[in-house]
Amino acid sequence: MSELAPRYSATSLLRARFSRDYWRPLWRRTKPKDAYDVVVVGGGGHGLATAFHLARDHGLKRVSVLERKVIGYGNVGRNTTIVRSNYLLPENFHFYEDSLRRYETLSRDLNYNVMYSSRGVVDLANSDDEMVLYARRGNAMRLGGIDAELLDRAGLRRFMPELNPDLPRRYPIVGGLLQRRGGTVRHDAVAWGYARAAAALGVDIVEECEVTGLVTAGGVATGVETSQGFVRAERVVFAVAGHTGSIGRMLGVPLPVETHLLQAMVTEPVKPLVHTVVSYMYGHAEVYLSQSDRGGLVMGGVLDGYPSYTREPEWHRLEEVVQGAVAMFPQVAGLRILRHWAGTNDQTMDGSPLVGRLKYDNVFLNGGWCYGGFKAIPASGAACATLVATGSAPDLIRGFALERFATGHVLDEKGAGPFPVRQ
Amino acid sequence: MTHLRCPFCGVRPVEEFSFHKTLPNVAGGPFADTFLRSDDPQDSHEHWQHRLGCRAWLLTRRNPSTGEVLELRLLGGAAS
Ligand SMILES: Cc1cc2nc3c(=O)[nH]c(=O)nc-3n(C[C@H](O)[C@H](O)[C@H](O)COP(=O)(O)OP(=O)(O)OC[C@H]3O[C@@H](n4cnc5c(N)ncnc54)[C@H](O)[C@@H]3O)c2cc1C
Ligand SMILES: [Zn+2]
Repeated sequence: MSELAPRYSATSLLRARFSRDYWRPLWRRTKPKDAYDVVVVGGGGHGLATAFHLARDHGLKRVSVLERKVIGYGNVGRNTTIVRSNYLLPENFHFYEDSLRRYETLSRDLNYNVMYSSRGVVDLANSDDEMVLYARRGNAMRLGGIDAELLDRAGLRRFMPELNPDLPRRYPIVGGLLQRRGGTVRHDAVAWGYARAAAALGVDIVEECEVTGLVTAGGVATGVETSQGFVRAERVVFAVAGHTGSIGRMLGVPLPVETHLLQAMVTEPVKPLVHTVVSYMYGHAEVYLSQSDRGGLVMGGVLDGYPSYTREPEWHRLEEVVQGAVAMFPQVAGLRILRHWAGTNDQTMDGSPLVGRLKYDNVFLNGGWCYGGFKAIPASGAACATLVATGSAPDLIRGFALERFATGHVLDEKGAGPFPVRQ
Repeated sequence: MTHLRCPFCGVRPVEEFSFHKTLPNVAGGPFADTFLRSDDPQDSHEHWQHRLGCRAWLLTRRNPSTGEVLELRLLGGAAS
């Protein structure tokens, strides 16, 4: 334990300034042990947060996270870092609000700076009809006790002087929906912070350990087959995000999931230009954008548009995203793109998450996070840990159980129908 | 994936086409057809449309791990 990083504080950081060997690994490298109370498959945000809460809130001593690659390889390190709770359906906004509140205090809870920045999230409207939709969503949120503000052009000019809404545009900007507490959180720090905090509580974080099969006996899971051998487990949690579909296949359980790509890109750094997170639908296309602390514009759009496991983003989508960015802020036209990447997403049939039991009494799924599960990490970790430790799902995630597809209680946030690509 | 071969228009950039849906591949009636899929990383059966071209509807089999098109034909028509 002593070789690990100590608790951070102002004095410890001051000490770090003068000591050569202050900086230590955040978690130990380890091989899997023979047996655990809980094996969490997948070392992304959701797996790490679930393991952390199992250890901290439920006192479980023998917990491991088995990660196929390295911590941060998956979507937790590929997303555009936006956090918000501006959803329409109560099941969704209550859950994401719980998550946003946890993000507000996460740096302190993990003793790790995750750089939560409440810079606001604005969805721009192109037409009066869209304003009506935003008013509906904003009102739903306010009735649920969550902050939302409908901005007209004047309000937008005041909140975002950097955007000129009066500029002639093919898709004019008439207003927007603002959530001031929304913003960004440094994604890598979330993965590292949870990994470090979980390891400090005794959780084994095992990298380069792929789970290749679930072993069962008498109708319950007894462990997992991995690239580092068999690991016995009392309970198994699958938190593999973009690989949820393959897990269904591995267990012989068809799931309401398809695997789709989402891409993102970042420009070269420039001086402060955009102080908030802004998203803009123009025609069929969309762009959303924020500026990182280094100054790069981080941008993304909609899914690539068809099932894919390749992680090779489509070029025409990049073009659309850039067109949208230039339509919002003409002055960015000359910027160069530094990096461009994609992640595989577990897109569900109704666009909402899948958290609950999976086929066996002691096997759980924490997935279906689609393209929006970074903001969900703190709430999902806490709620999923309660489900796994106590066997019953807290109210916050009860609606996310797989059974909704058999009973018809789907949570179709966008009203798009059973088409994962349109969710 | 950069291009698809439309039976009418020949090889065209993928952005002219739009993916519509994956086809049901699990038994269990209309509910399973609508909501559930066995997600095969090597073999996906799909409907596409050459939306910004001749608007023909297409039936495809693709390998989503490589982007390779294994089969593409006119919906209801002969293989091409
Ligand atoms: C380009 C992009 C932008 C996004 N932007 C946002 C955003 O702005 N806001 C937001 O809220 N969300 C966003 N998302 C979505 C968000 O990133 C994901 O929903 C979320 O990170 C998924 O949960 P995770 O962190 O646990 O996933 P991951 O980090 O992908 O973790 C899953 C892990 O499981 C591992 N794994 C898979 N199979 C196995 C196996 N068999 N054995 C062992 N390990 C395995 C993988 O290697 C991976 O590390 C974005 C996603 C992408 C791709
Ligand atoms: Zn054609």
